[in-house]
Amino acid sequence: MTYRVGIDIGGTFTDFALLKSSGAGSAVVLHKNLSTPEDRSIGVMNGLKKLAEIEGLPTGEFLGRCEAIVHGTTVADNTLIEMNGAVTGLITTEGFRDEIEYRRGYKEDIWDVRLPPPQPIVPRRRRLTVPERILFDGTVYKALDEAAVRECCRRLKLQGVESVAISLIFSFVNPAHEKRVAQIVAEEMPGVQISCSHEVLPRAPEYDRTSTTVVNAYVAPRVTSYLEKLVDRLKKGGYRHQLMVMQASGGVMTRQYIEGSPIRVLASGPAGGVIGSAHVGLAKGCSNLLCVDMGGTSYDMSVVLNGAAPAETGWNMHHRYLVGVPMVQVETLGAGGGSICHVHNGALQVGPASAGSEPGPICYGRGGRQPTITDALLMLGILSAESDFAGGSFSLSAAGVEEAFRSIGAQMGYGAEDAAFDCWRVVNANMSQAVTRTVAGKGIDPKDMVMLAYGGNGPVFAAVQAEDLGIERVLVPKASPTFSALGTLVANPSVDEERSHIAPADRLDDARLKTLWGELEARAGKYLAEAGFTADRLTAKYQMKMRYPGQNWALAFDIRVNQGLHDLSFVDEGLGARAVAAFNQRHMEEFGHIREGEMPEVTGVRLVTSIETPSPRVATGFSAPAVVAQPTKTRRANLGKGYGPTPVFHGTALKPGHEVPGPAIIEETFTTIVVYPGWKARVDDAGDYELARA
Amino acid sequence: MSFELNRKLAARRPPLPTSATVDAVTASIIRGAFETVCFEAATHLGRAASSPIINQSNERNGSIIDAHGRLAGVSIGTPHLLFISQLTVRYGLQLFKEYDWGPGDVFLGNDPDYGGGHLPDYNVYAPVFDEHGELVLIQALQAHQGDTGGKDPGGFTLEATDIFTEGLAIPCVKLVHRGEKRRDIIHLLERNNRFASFAGDLAAMIGAVQHCVKRLEGIVRRWGADTVKAAVNDNIEQTEQRFREEIAKWPDGSYSADVLIDHDTLGTKDVKVHATCTVKGDQLTVDLTGSDARPELVGVWNTFANSRGYAMTQLASMIDPGIIKNEGLFDAVEIVLPENTIVHPPVNKPAALGSFHPAVEIIEAVCIALSQVVPERATPQVYKIGMPNAVIGFGPKGMWMDQGVDARSMDSSAVQGIDGWGSSCVGLGNLLLSEAEDAESRFPIINLNREMTTDSGGAGQWRGQPGSLNVKKVLEPTMAMAWMVSQIHPLRGLCGGEDAGPYANHFEVGTEREYKVELTARAQLPAGAVIAYQHGGGGGFGPAVLRDPQAVREDVLDEKVSLAAAKDRYGVVFTGTLEEYDLEVDAAATAALRQRMQALRAVQEKQS
Repeated sequence: MTYRVGIDIGGTFTDFALLKSSGAGSAVVLHKNLSTPEDRSIGVMNGLKKLAEIEGLPTGEFLGRCEAIVHGTTVADNTLIEMNGAVTGLITTEGFRDEIEYRRGYKEDIWDVRLPPPQPIVPRRRRLTVPERILFDGTVYKALDEAAVRECCRRLKLQGVESVAISLIFSFVNPAHEKRVAQIVAEEMPGVQISCSHEVLPRAPEYDRTSTTVVNAYVAPRVTSYLEKLVDRLKKGGYRHQLMVMQASGGVMTRQYIEGSPIRVLASGPAGGVIGSAHVGLAKGCSNLLCVDMGGTSYDMSVVLNGAAPAETGWNMHHRYLVGVPMVQVETLGAGGGSICHVHNGALQVGPASAGSEPGPICYGRGGRQPTITDALLMLGILSAESDFAGGSFSLSAAGVEEAFRSIGAQMGYGAEDAAFDCWRVVNANMSQAVTRTVAGKGIDPKDMVMLAYGGNGPVFAAVQAEDLGIERVLVPKASPTFSALGTLVANPSVDEERSHIAPADRLDDARLKTLWGELEARAGKYLAEAGFTADRLTAKYQMKMRYPGQNWALAFDIRVNQGLHDLSFVDEGLGARAVAAFNQRHMEEFGHIREGEMPEVTGVRLVTSIETPSPRVATGFSAPAVVAQPTKTRRANLGKGYGPTPVFHGTALKPGHEVPGPAIIEETFTTIVVYPGWKARVDDAGDYELARA
Repeated sequence: MSFELNRKLAARRPPLPTSATVDAVTASIIRGAFETVCFEAATHLGRAASSPIINQSNERNGSIIDAHGRLAGVSIGTPHLLFISQLTVRYGLQLFKEYDWGPGDVFLGNDPDYGGGHLPDYNVYAPVFDEHGELVLIQALQAHQGDTGGKDPGGFTLEATDIFTEGLAIPCVKLVHRGEKRRDIIHLLERNNRFASFAGDLAAMIGAVQHCVKRLEGIVRRWGADTVKAAVNDNIEQTEQRFREEIAKWPDGSYSADVLIDHDTLGTKDVKVHATCTVKGDQLTVDLTGSDARPELVGVWNTFANSRGYAMTQLASMIDPGIIKNEGLFDAVEIVLPENTIVHPPVNKPAALGSFHPAVEIIEAVCIALSQVVPERATPQVYKIGMPNAVIGFGPKGMWMDQGVDARSMDSSAVQGIDGWGSSCVGLGNLLLSEAEDAESRFPIINLNREMTTDSGGAGQWRGQPGSLNVKKVLEPTMAMAWMVSQIHPLRGLCGGEDAGPYANHFEVGTEREYKVELTARAQLPAGAVIAYQHGGGGGFGPAVLRDPQAVREDVLDEKVSLAAAKDRYGVVFTGTLEEYDLEVDAAATAALRQRMQALRAVQEKQS
């Protein structure tokens, strides 16, 4: 028996998905335990011990049999939420000290004159400039003033700087000056962490690259020390392989690779969920998915098209900073179980403020006083104080809930139950609008998509949004509550990097393109080899990024997909014409038109490499004979059409072949599935649920 | 095309007739659906357009107008464009029968004398009918075009004395009839535009509007036309009511302000905007009577629709940001625009530059007038820049233009409790500024500097953000255009805060031909010439001597305020040095200095 373990650390729970393989086949074991915020690696080790116990092995032997441990971490996100990263300094080109403060003019709310500025990672006093200048073609316009660099170091040292970001104009074309600045900083400020923009995000424009590099510098020491601690614990515990770490791009890589640019782990948790969704969706024959993940504080939405969730490198604002590394696109709405319901200016509103898990909703009985969506679900009978909650870890209490909604109702001119129902309507409308926006511009009709719902609250609401968008089917995997962990197990080792190169498509510089792709190949080959993978097992997607002249956003597309590296024979005279054709096709898909007679320009090249690794096999189909399931009880509930006696089912009692006609409520261990009137649930051969219009 | 037409277009419109009633939550759900449709329109256009003004600066807005011409839903774009979208559509609605409106039609208008803003703002709109063929809604999409086919590339002519100099004026024209593009009309429009990308941009606007019409038809089908109408009525009423509730909390009284523009484009000095804001119970009147009416003024005529929209832009920023933006805002306020003045010009006046000045001075005057009433939201939503330094050249592929909308800081004023921050006021927070690496990859220029200038932010208890100095070198012979204002009359501080640092613009810097642009310039720059634009800062809020000395220390460490200004303007004295980062406030010396400054000010105030 060999093992692979996927681990996802959330704010409240650490989730585990164990894939066990032997000659006889493979199986997945799921586990969840509390996170340990003071040192999250403890929670990881606790869970691994538990898995070993389940397998009947001593921890050391279990870890020794693990072929891979794959890990998604929120340590970078938490650093930005708590704003407690390293004391960071920035060295940039003379004349460009303030780009990071201008944010290209961006402000989050155009109506709110009381919007405060983001907390500065590098206040102006720690943004220092040096005389030097490189032009767009890489030529040196002004030589680097090395004495000025040393003076910068002196001033940064005086200010106690622990981590230095270096971002010079056009360093992604010619990194010579940045490399030299890094050498000098290393000499003058021994022990300090250094992040160079030509390594973190080698592309234009300067705000994107500088912001990403600054955030990288800010989170780097914490990410690095956390990973080192974890690797150390795992090694002492008996694990013999590389720890693989989830990236926001949806791929996993070794700690060594991540430490070159720790920013890549930011927002990797949600990416894991999307990758897991794509995997399950494909197994069930659904290649176009709208994935919705609703937990306690947020509602995360993403789209899988043709079985893939491509990572994009656009305007990714995270915690008020632009982070330009490839990220699986996940949109977030402040709507979760803990979202607070309130009346503002006579209008009923839900969220974005959340009661979190402490004190949490009123019905958690931990001192929460503001009514939340979870409380509204209790009022509506969708949740019940008589049933177990969160895997039986506690029960809900109705005390104070009705009173809170009565107070909302008083402001709206009706009673408590109507108030709770309207909160349900409002949060549904918010989610429906948000999913519509998420799908907008993707060039696909939502009717042709299948929804995949996960997270503790996702399956409670999913069919409402599906109905609004005209979606016919909703999948709710049994593993839904630990989906991100499953996703890390499914994700493949991947190096996804790009290089900037701006040129009209009819005048490509083949030699330059070969050099750039060659550099990317060398990096991918090196890191994947260090991770223990040979180049022949690797899929290499050579991508180009193009736009029509004047467009701000480039589209990326595959120009060649190879097995293995180093075959650049496709970079020939015909490349430009093929690229234009492929770009126009992408433009047509994305925007519904092309600009005839305009010559697009190339903005960069990208290489996406990945290695196929063993993943859990997902069963599908409905071969078990259909049986209408019998409810375990009924209770008074309102599923959108008024209160009435509603059948309630225990998820543990439902087996493949079982059918549950709506209206009905299915209580699973960590989630609740609502089968709305007009819908029907079926359990497939894998034990997963499919909701469809009856 | 008359003052009478303007009055008619702006007149309050009744609610839509409907037999349905709707609860507040349903009304809000339908409104949310409208906003999503507008979002889609703007997103689609922003990504598909290639005009840098649309796709880099994001100068575009989707809005939904009801069958009576009322603003029913909006996207987040720029408030300055948003509030001028209805009147062009209302003019088109007058021609409903004559122009044979029907399903599948798409219209265009941009004429300042027929409800438009200025010529570059193309408004493309299309009707939405219910299943009985009754008009319910109109989807409108506005975007700023890079050229309008007038005398000067870009549509801005400094010495223009009539609209015809500026380009093609379009009161209302049908672009698509029953789903079929009118190729003759589209060809005519394309022919009257210098930009090769215009055809694609117009096609993108039409495509976006058509997409949204389908979406709105779906919303009408799903809820029923009567319910949608009831929801529109309800949302507009709610907004009016909320706005009036805010006004009712303001103290009754009449508050006025004058704001001066340095000069018109030919040098006539001190062009005045006067605003009187009268609060009486829940009624607010904004009256611009007293604004300049000198007929000889050139370039500073702001169209009727613009003046109305810009006044609203400032008002909308001074109320709870949660109040929904729709026609209810206009229903709650009376805006008086005196005829034959720079805020309501006679027909055929040029309109392009007016949407810089006096448009933003209207905003500033309203803000100053109301700053005593709503200090916690008083910060002007302006761009006091005369015109960015656009540089234009002619290469092998035709004309290129670097508009000069570069990353920079300007006019970011403080508000009570918060220093000015970022690069501009919040209202412009959706416009993405151009970056050096993008521009230099396309145009023969080098950006040499774009840093903030110490002490150029207005001092105050809360400080204005310093303005930036943007220095650029052109590598080929280039034409550069400029119009300078806000040098003599910079952006004003509020409630005792100091004015911002002024604008200044120098051409051919570092040569013996170097000169300061005092009024306007249309220069042929030789290869290698350097131009340097000092942007004005933001205004301060509240007396500078009341600023927390520790905040002044932070400012000095950040080189936003010099040690000298800390002492002279803020009355803060330090020990230690900036070079060693060991500055500490000398509390006793600071208290003594501030006491002297306040005493001196009291004497000065007594004397004046």
